[in-house]
Amino acid sequence: MSAYREDDAAQKTTSSVPVLDLRGVTKTFGGLRAVSDVTFSVPERSIFGLIGPNGAGKTTLFNLITGVYKADSGSIRFRTTDLGPLKPAQIARVGVARTFQNIRLFGQLTVLENVLIACEHKRKAHLLSALLRTELFYRDEEEMKNRALELLAIFDLDKMADEVSTSLSYGNQRRLEIARAMMLDPKLLLLDEPAAGMNYGEAEGLKTQIRWLRDRFELTVVLVEHNMQVVMGVCEDLHVLDHGETIAHGPPELVRKHPKVLAAYLGEDADEALDAEAEAAAHAGQGAEEGDSAAPETTELT
Amino acid sequence: MPRTLRRAIVTLALIGLMIALEFGFERVVTDAAWRQLALAAMVNIIVALSLNVINGMAGQFSIGHAGFVGVGAYTGAVVASNIHIWLFIHHRTESAPLFQNSFLVMPIVLLSAGAMAGIFGFVVGLPSLRLKGDYLAIVTLGFAEIFRLVIATAQTGGDAGGGISGALATLGGQNGYGGPDVRTILTTVTDPEVTARLNTYENGGVPQYAGPFWIFGAVVVVALIAWRLKFSGWGRALRALREDEIASAAVGVDPTRYKVTSFVIAAVGAGVAGGLLASMRDGNPTIQPDQFTFNTSFDAITMVILGGSGSVTGAIFGGVFVTFTVKMIEQLQGLESVQALKVQFPSLDLNALRMVVYAAVLITLMILRPEGLFGERELFKKARTKKSPSSNDTPDKPVATPVPEPAKPEAT
Ligand SMILES: Nc1ncnc2c1ncn2[C@@H]1O[C@H](COP(=O)(O)OP(=O)(O)OP(=O)(O)O)[C@@H](O)[C@H]1O
Ligand SMILES: [Mg+2]
Repeated sequence: MSAYREDDAAQKTTSSVPVLDLRGVTKTFGGLRAVSDVTFSVPERSIFGLIGPNGAGKTTLFNLITGVYKADSGSIRFRTTDLGPLKPAQIARVGVARTFQNIRLFGQLTVLENVLIACEHKRKAHLLSALLRTELFYRDEEEMKNRALELLAIFDLDKMADEVSTSLSYGNQRRLEIARAMMLDPKLLLLDEPAAGMNYGEAEGLKTQIRWLRDRFELTVVLVEHNMQVVMGVCEDLHVLDHGETIAHGPPELVRKHPKVLAAYLGEDADEALDAEAEAAAHAGQGAEEGDSAAPETTELT
Repeated sequence: MPRTLRRAIVTLALIGLMIALEFGFERVVTDAAWRQLALAAMVNIIVALSLNVINGMAGQFSIGHAGFVGVGAYTGAVVASNIHIWLFIHHRTESAPLFQNSFLVMPIVLLSAGAMAGIFGFVVGLPSLRLKGDYLAIVTLGFAEIFRLVIATAQTGGDAGGGISGALATLGGQNGYGGPDVRTILTTVTDPEVTARLNTYENGGVPQYAGPFWIFGAVVVVALIAWRLKFSGWGRALRALREDEIASAAVGVDPTRYKVTSFVIAAVGAGVAGGLLASMRDGNPTIQPDQFTFNTSFDAITMVILGGSGSVTGAIFGGVFVTFTVKMIEQLQGLESVQALKVQFPSLDLNALRMVVYAAVLITLMILRPEGLFGERELFKKARTKKSPSSNDTPDKPVATPVPEPAKPEAT
């Protein structure tokens, strides 16, 4: 488990093709350049942070990657696949899953059904089979249900499988969204502010969960997050946007000291962010957790 | 194979029941008017069930369903009458349709009517469902009206010329279609024996092959299909799509594909209903363009919304209810007191009044019970316990929720 750094290093040398590769991606809305000439690549099995102040263009970038919007220029590749011409559903099928900043669950569907939708395209039994109610149809449904329940168990949601998803608590809804995304069997998981609205303890749980998912499912994770406790604790690489433009890129230790970042982003709430960090480190002291790179860094900076 | 066995038994029992109905229906319901009404209700159930797929389940508003019923009706009428005449010439059958021949005629009629309506559905649906917004409503309305007017205004009688206008002319224009013109066929026949035979043909309009067997049978099959569609992964995906298109696409459900498929399925169902309508024993062996006006589409929408959008049992209820109210109003029209009123107020038209009443009922329903009488629920839906399925008792690996691993702080 703790060996993921070595794993990661090994991966980097073996596969030279990054999981996600953006080149000069630009998107304008009318006169507004929401994303401007953004270039970066995300290595296999890393946890990659995409940060920036409000309106920086992070969500827009996710929408570009998942095909909700089409880029004005530039290229977006998933491994060797050019995502440019693909529709959102096709992009999901090649293995790019996402969650949404403003939770988008299928409200009137049950928790289980929400997750089942994500493997509908993998169904072996097609429409005719469903109409004839063949053995294959029942077997398929059974298999899908079992897989979904396994996945829900990972997120501790299996006990509420039959509940309508709007009846879940906010935190559970966020986790259900991740569970649903995971049902796609993705290789790349895009999380848009998964820690929003979570308290300290929940955010800590989320950190462990993200790492655990990455290791268990050999995932690559791109994380958009305002919660510095999570970002600094879990990301191995950061890419910072401001007004659609890249202002910094690199490992968290370096990015956080970058003058442009401090000015544009951390400027207003640098203290707040660093306080959270220090607090995290303090908690980690007894819990023997969260040592990684953040703790020493915090002391260095303050 | 208990499931297979059970199904075989149920199927055989149903077929037996349908055959019994075919021959016993006249005795069960002795009044011809009521028989026709019951059969009309069955056809309307198919219309409602099919519209329910696109309007209720997929949540896309189609308001030109009559157009697809019409395509199916004309296709079915043309196919049925031509096969009938072919049978008459080559198999020396009588001018009246026989039950045993319906097993040859009706499958072809229903398949061709469904297929033709499906093709039209695909052509109409593909471009309009790719766009966001309510284009479907406008396009379907336009389609239904164009279809009806093209047929109604076709130049008939005399030489309409060849090609498309010639083909349209054979459909009878405003007067309706009642089978091919035997005189025209005679001009193309050279065999004197065939000519002699054709001269004895009594044109009874579109042959009425669809008796209770086919009509009740079709309702059972269509209702079963509708039910299974709804309670399959496909129906589940449609519900998800209705909740949130962007999220559906993000988990691999292609909105356009699902919508177009639903629309084509709805059109095929409407076509089948049309095919039955054309061959139905309703005392009207012709098909008229006026059967497919906007009123018909509106009635179909009423059936779906009244019962509850998305509900299969609701659509069945709606189909029956609307058919009977229409009939009731017709009966009222015949009442002496109403006739007397009509003398006083010549513009009084109860059928037009019905539209007003329906609209009022629908608006009230929208306000008081927006989901329809049944909502999306079904009348006799068994409570599904989706609890842990059969085997697979080990709850696997619910790891990582607390903070388990003892990570070594990596000194670099
Ligand atoms: N569909 C759209 N039409 C017009 N403008 C848009 C659209 N989507 C985003 N924008 C604009 O693009 C800019 C970037 O928005 P985006 O949502 O990507 O920011 P963000 O980095 O996710 O911010 P936050 O942290 O608040 O979520 C904003 O100025 C926003 O108003
Ligand atoms: Mg955002």
